[in-house]
Amino acid sequence: MANIALGGSASHVSGETTRVARLQKFKSWDALFSGLTRSAAIAVLVLLGGVVVSLIVGSRLAFQTFGLSFLTREVWNPVTDQYGALAPIYGTLVTSLIAMVIAVPVGLGIAIFLTELCPYRLRRPIGIAIELLAGIPSIIYGIWGLFVFAPFLQQYVQPALITVFGPIPVLNMVFAGPPYGIGIFTAGIILGVMVLPFVSSISRDVFETVPPVLKEAAYGIGCTTREVVTNVVIPHSRTAIVGGVMLGLGRALGETMAVTFVIGNAHKISASILSPGTTISASIANEFTEAVGDIYTSSLIALGLILFVITFIVLAIARLLLMRINNRASA
Amino acid sequence: MTLTDVMPATDDRVAATPKITVRDLKFFYGSTMSLKGISLALAPNRVTAFIGPSGCGKSTLLRVLNRMYDLYPNQRAEGEVLLDGENILKPDVDLNLLRSRVGMVFQKPTPFPMSIYENIAFGIRLYEKVSKSELDGRVEQALKGAALWPEVKDKLQTSGLGLSGGQQQRLCIARTIALSPEVILLDEPCSALDPISTARIEELIDELKSRFTFAIVTHNMQQAARVSDKTAFMYLGELIEFDDTRKIFTSPSVKQTQAYITGRFG
Repeated sequence: MANIALGGSASHVSGETTRVARLQKFKSWDALFSGLTRSAAIAVLVLLGGVVVSLIVGSRLAFQTFGLSFLTREVWNPVTDQYGALAPIYGTLVTSLIAMVIAVPVGLGIAIFLTELCPYRLRRPIGIAIELLAGIPSIIYGIWGLFVFAPFLQQYVQPALITVFGPIPVLNMVFAGPPYGIGIFTAGIILGVMVLPFVSSISRDVFETVPPVLKEAAYGIGCTTREVVTNVVIPHSRTAIVGGVMLGLGRALGETMAVTFVIGNAHKISASILSPGTTISASIANEFTEAVGDIYTSSLIALGLILFVITFIVLAIARLLLMRINNRASA
Repeated sequence: MTLTDVMPATDDRVAATPKITVRDLKFFYGSTMSLKGISLALAPNRVTAFIGPSGCGKSTLLRVLNRMYDLYPNQRAEGEVLLDGENILKPDVDLNLLRSRVGMVFQKPTPFPMSIYENIAFGIRLYEKVSKSELDGRVEQALKGAALWPEVKDKLQTSGLGLSGGQQQRLCIARTIALSPEVILLDEPCSALDPISTARIEELIDELKSRFTFAIVTHNMQQAARVSDKTAFMYLGELIEFDDTRKIFTSPSVKQTQAYITGRFG
């Protein structure tokens, strides 16, 4: 190519050929490039498929042995090789529920304060503090929860809850003693703290995208800040808020380390949220090393499959919700 | 320049009791002065147009009249703005009340993310406790006032975001007049609209001026000439000329004004 271009004598013709040759070269680069990106995309699908297949294959023995009753049995006995997933499923759902009950209102509150009310000087420090909260490794939440938070709850908070709700019919079952310190309640609170930065930073980002002129219009008819937030800011950004909450919920469902520390690891379901329990991920993390025997291992893998399905369902519901909200908004 | 006599002598009714009087108003974005001592008066039940090249401070002036600038730090106003003789720049003024008296319609239509009905009912409910039937009546009245009723009466419960741009803008006007404000500020209300919607909104302003005092910012000379009674020409934060619209557009007394309205500068 170079010598043709340098030939110079028949400049027009050689120029043409050079161009064609160069374009050929670009084309082969293009093909290589698109091939590389395509294979990267396909690799994700292959990985996902591989994980699903290995989960299904691994859990086959458990489902063959116990049938679908694996999902509805509370028993978990390595000695007699009897396993059921109900307690971990229950623990996973309840701890996540407690976490969301804490994280959603507090997170939205933080986001509203930061975007609408906070003096400009404080915005950055508070925002950074929240992002740091998200950066703390979960093992640190775990040891803090076990050595500091759980004893505190045991000594002060849980006895008070038991006394206060004692005389109230249904709630006295939910907050029944004794105060262990560790348990579903503690795990839920820790999860709430861990999920909080996600909910608040996503909501803050979303609130910041509300067009200023829309807020001005609401202030322009004499709304107070609270009215602007509840009637304009939140409705305008509800789709994205649901998305942020679901992302937080996804994290809460799968969080392992911190929960394993503080949940007590008891394979039983009790009405009281103060008593120890377990979650799917905590069970797997705790017991994988000691799982001897095929059925035991297979049962743990089956737990993993269940967690996968639950997370998938949460995501699907989130999608459906978002679609419905979008349709209604555009109708 | 300094204007010692801001009251035009041509119209005695105007000179009697202005709705809004602006006296030596200075406005700052941080340390930048963007209004350099404006003085003028808005006559009641009249339309006052503000014209001038971009950045001349006309929108800023409008945002002072309902203290919208208060939402942002580093923005402050000095001087006096009297609404019915009361200085609204005083720190103890109730901003929510002020904004219910001085309504605003923006350049871009800003329907709230709720139904057409709610867009209007929402503002009414903020201030008054009214029965369902009375609320229905008030919403209908406001929509009729904004010449939108025939187009939306069968779909009041659908989202306000589903309307066309012109309809959305009339919805915003309906929302504003539903609160029975005394003054309505229009910040380039037609710049995002097609000519037909623009004509409808101009007609609307004409019909409504018996009930409200209007201040309109516009880049459209013909629009200023068509809808306004008074016109203020501003340039670089100063009020260059303020007079009857007819006079501004036929025989302006300042050369700069003439240059601007004939399109030779700005």
